[in-house]
Amino acid sequence: MKFAFFPGCTMAYRLPFAEKSIRMVVPHFDVELVDLAFTCCPEPNTVRALSDDTWITLAARNIALAEAEGLNILTACAGCHESLSLAKHELDENPDRKNKVNELLKDLGLEYKGTSTIVHVHQLLFDEIGIESISSKVVRPVPIKVVTHTGCHLLRPERVLHVDNAEVPVKLDMLCESLGMVPLEYMDKTMCCGAGVRKINSVTSYAILREKMTSIAMVEPNAIVVFCPTCFITFESGQRVANRIFGTDFKIPVFYYTELLAIALNLPETDILLAEHRVKIELPTSTETKEENKTETKDSIPSSP
Amino acid sequence: MSDMSEDLQTNRLKELKETALPCFQCGVCSSSCPVFRVSPELNPRVSVDSIISRGKVPSEGNEWLCAYCLMCDQRCPMGVSLAEILMVIKNISAKEGQAPPDVIESAESLMADGCQSPISSRSEKQREDMGLPKLPRADPEDVKMLFRATGAAEVLELNRSTSGEASE
Repeated sequence: MKFAFFPGCTMAYRLPFAEKSIRMVVPHFDVELVDLAFTCCPEPNTVRALSDDTWITLAARNIALAEAEGLNILTACAGCHESLSLAKHELDENPDRKNKVNELLKDLGLEYKGTSTIVHVHQLLFDEIGIESISSKVVRPVPIKVVTHTGCHLLRPERVLHVDNAEVPVKLDMLCESLGMVPLEYMDKTMCCGAGVRKINSVTSYAILREKMTSIAMVEPNAIVVFCPTCFITFESGQRVANRIFGTDFKIPVFYYTELLAIALNLPETDILLAEHRVKIELPTSTETKEENKTETKDSIPSSP
Repeated sequence: MSDMSEDLQTNRLKELKETALPCFQCGVCSSSCPVFRVSPELNPRVSVDSIISRGKVPSEGNEWLCAYCLMCDQRCPMGVSLAEILMVIKNISAKEGQAPPDVIESAESLMADGCQSPISSRSEKQREDMGLPKLPRADPEDVKMLFRATGAAEVLELNRSTSGEASE
């Protein structure tokens, strides 16, 4: 399988180790990635909030670039996935809008046809490759207790995205199980991480995170597993901001799923992924027990998430 | 604002009211909203009621507090998507020069760089150190052309002049 890879601004420039983990694991499942001159997806809460027409036109340009190469798009960020999927849905359902967009793309030598699909790494691994194929390649199981956060923009709107059940998501838990992890249930599993309002009202944003983290901390996981770079940054750097604002004491490590997959496949160079984490975890080998996990927090102040 | 764009605005508001009309005020949107849980000033149920009766949210600017997590959209038994309604209200508010400064800043960055947040030389270096490829970038002129042709450049210009916080 060959895809036009859409890492998105946040992953490419703020979480490059997560992007690295995707590029490390996919060749082991016969997946090839091609880089194209994409812009930001664009993000719904800013550009779309300013001008819906600008949002859909830029999204159409991105999709048209992949269509010109005859490739489907592989997204890595929940926000990019939702934005491109919603734009595609609207363009495919509304010929007038598609024609209007294509009038503009014509000047760039592009045309949106609707031939490329938008696939997130979550869907590639669960729906295309499958957990049996993944677990058959695992040589170093990761026996830790985790909670999963699939992310708002992979789950909703459910009528368009079809990634998992929006009220009871289980696929990321199954993907974690296939690497030897124990996924835990928790109360606010489908709740937002708070990132969506960080630019508008940061205290509200971190209060949402505090609620989410409180619900997570109750079940005492060793780590949080996500499939979105924005959720990653919100949980990892944000929990310390929440600690400062609200006097809480959260320090739970966070992983983008493919980092753990790279570790379970025992790929070389996974150290460089973990070196970038701000909340450290020493991953036990399968013979160790959970008591041997050590969690520590770096003292440095995080860049504003 | 010209008469024509005022008519357009009036029509959009009328459409919005119609989209919201099936609401029978059950409140599942409010009990599902993560923002309402911590900031009661954005009350989704009351917002829908206010949109139906007055064509706007109860308190000016509150539309920007929506995180667009779509929990209200998911759970509404009548298929009313408050998140989508608020997105349209945000568009109207932006056209009136009322967009929050950080939203403007992100859009400015996208117009200049093709990316939401400015790409620093440090992050480019970090990619190189990790053995990640240099990503191809869109022609900035193409992005500017699309911003101009689809209205965002005008909205940005308007908001710059209202906020007086031009980031040239």
